[in-house]
Amino acid sequence: MQNLQFGPVFAHSDAFIDGVISTLVLAALSIFFGTIIGLLGAIGRSYGPRILSAPIGAYVEIIRNTPLLIQLYFVFFTLPLVGIKLSSNWAAIVALSIHLGAYAIEIIRAGIDSIPQGQIEAAKSLGLRPYRIVRHVIVVPALKAVYPSLTAQFILQIMGTSIVGAIAAEELTAIANNLVMQTFRSFEIYIVIAVIYFVIVQSASLLFAGIGRLLFQWKA
Amino acid sequence: MRYQLPFVTLASVAALIFALVGLPTVTMAQSVNDIISRGKLIVAIDTTTPPYGFLDEKLEPTGFDIDVAKKMGEALGVPVEFVTVTSPGRIPSLMTGQVDAVISIFSITPQRAIQVDYSNPYAGQSAVVIAPTGTQIASHEDLVGKKVGVTRGTAEDGILTAASEKLPGIEMLRFDDYSSLLQAMVSGQIDAMGGGDYGEIYLKKALGGDAFEQKYPLKTYYFGIGVAKDNHNLRQWINTWLLGMKSDGSLEDLSMQYRGQPLPALPVF
Repeated sequence: MQNLQFGPVFAHSDAFIDGVISTLVLAALSIFFGTIIGLLGAIGRSYGPRILSAPIGAYVEIIRNTPLLIQLYFVFFTLPLVGIKLSSNWAAIVALSIHLGAYAIEIIRAGIDSIPQGQIEAAKSLGLRPYRIVRHVIVVPALKAVYPSLTAQFILQIMGTSIVGAIAAEELTAIANNLVMQTFRSFEIYIVIAVIYFVIVQSASLLFAGIGRLLFQWKA
Repeated sequence: MRYQLPFVTLASVAALIFALVGLPTVTMAQSVNDIISRGKLIVAIDTTTPPYGFLDEKLEPTGFDIDVAKKMGEALGVPVEFVTVTSPGRIPSLMTGQVDAVISIFSITPQRAIQVDYSNPYAGQSAVVIAPTGTQIASHEDLVGKKVGVTRGTAEDGILTAASEKLPGIEMLRFDDYSSLLQAMVSGQIDAMGGGDYGEIYLKKALGGDAFEQKYPLKTYYFGIGVAKDNHNLRQWINTWLLGMKSDGSLEDLSMQYRGQPLPALPVF
């Protein structure tokens, strides 16, 4: 067993901080856009006309049945051939959002399906307008029901950002790999980033739990 | 109380795992006579480094290094047994005596020569900057304002990253493997790339044209055949055999076949 030397690793702490910031930005933006896609897609797939729900269904199946890495390659390497050229980091955000969106659609749709038909009919008979029915009677209770599954998917998304180095996007893992090649201290560097990821993900879990309490404090 | 597996069960599972994995057997360095009397030459190769080592359509190892190994076996009059290793596995394969020689783009460096011995160079390769034919690039200064791709951790990465620190405006993109780097070049995500001097022909194949060319060299490496430390007997034979390979043009022929260009001048030490 070689001796562990963390000195050369901590000498590059600036790089780690840059990596953490990039990872958080990638995760936050892709979770934001992915959730919007998921919300609109789930409503469209459940209540939209067939011309809308069929393409959404196709999108969900295509994304959920292909690896994230291939989706990254597709956005970064293939889209330029049809004139859409995104920088590494934007390509990563786009691919991660599209990826999360598909999973979020299915999760939120499960919540929507769990709303009893009688509840919607009751709302109709009370004379609520369609917008208020969708918002108060369907979406909010549906989100409350699936909030734990949704945040579990967000957590996977945070960890999923670690592979976007494959298209030269800079984030924690890619920066760590650069440092491994410079310092040859692979063991120490991977220990450090494992600890950093643990702290990020654990904090995110607590944050999501807190947000859940604030958003859904009333009883269903 | 929680049920626990009996110790005997755990011990027998552990024994089974050890039996299946097997403990690596350390053998002594093989002299030329040992190899001939054993009846086979064992060579470490890497099949993920085209055009030096890769798998053909029948999934058989082929490439520049593999042909060199086969010719070495022919010269010794024994068949060659290939052991596939990764780049970090090359030195350990010699130190544990699993192979007689490493023929796998094994660049000669003083650090490695502390642990293994090298033959004279049998091949060499330059790291170069590659860019589309229309782009005017002759030095680091011309890369300012351009996106430059490299494979993470290669010598090109080191040289061009150092340049980008001196000349702000060179945007570095680091990819995990060579095929992603080439794909980025072909799809126009980068303006130039650092790579091996054979990289150009692969870009041409993808595009079917003369769209890319070598711009300027960064560094030249020399590949030696690695043998176990102090195995002078085998190393001396390899050097003698290489003299013949160089003088009869066999190495140049292999270079033209696999690299599409002649070898750089090979020094002797």
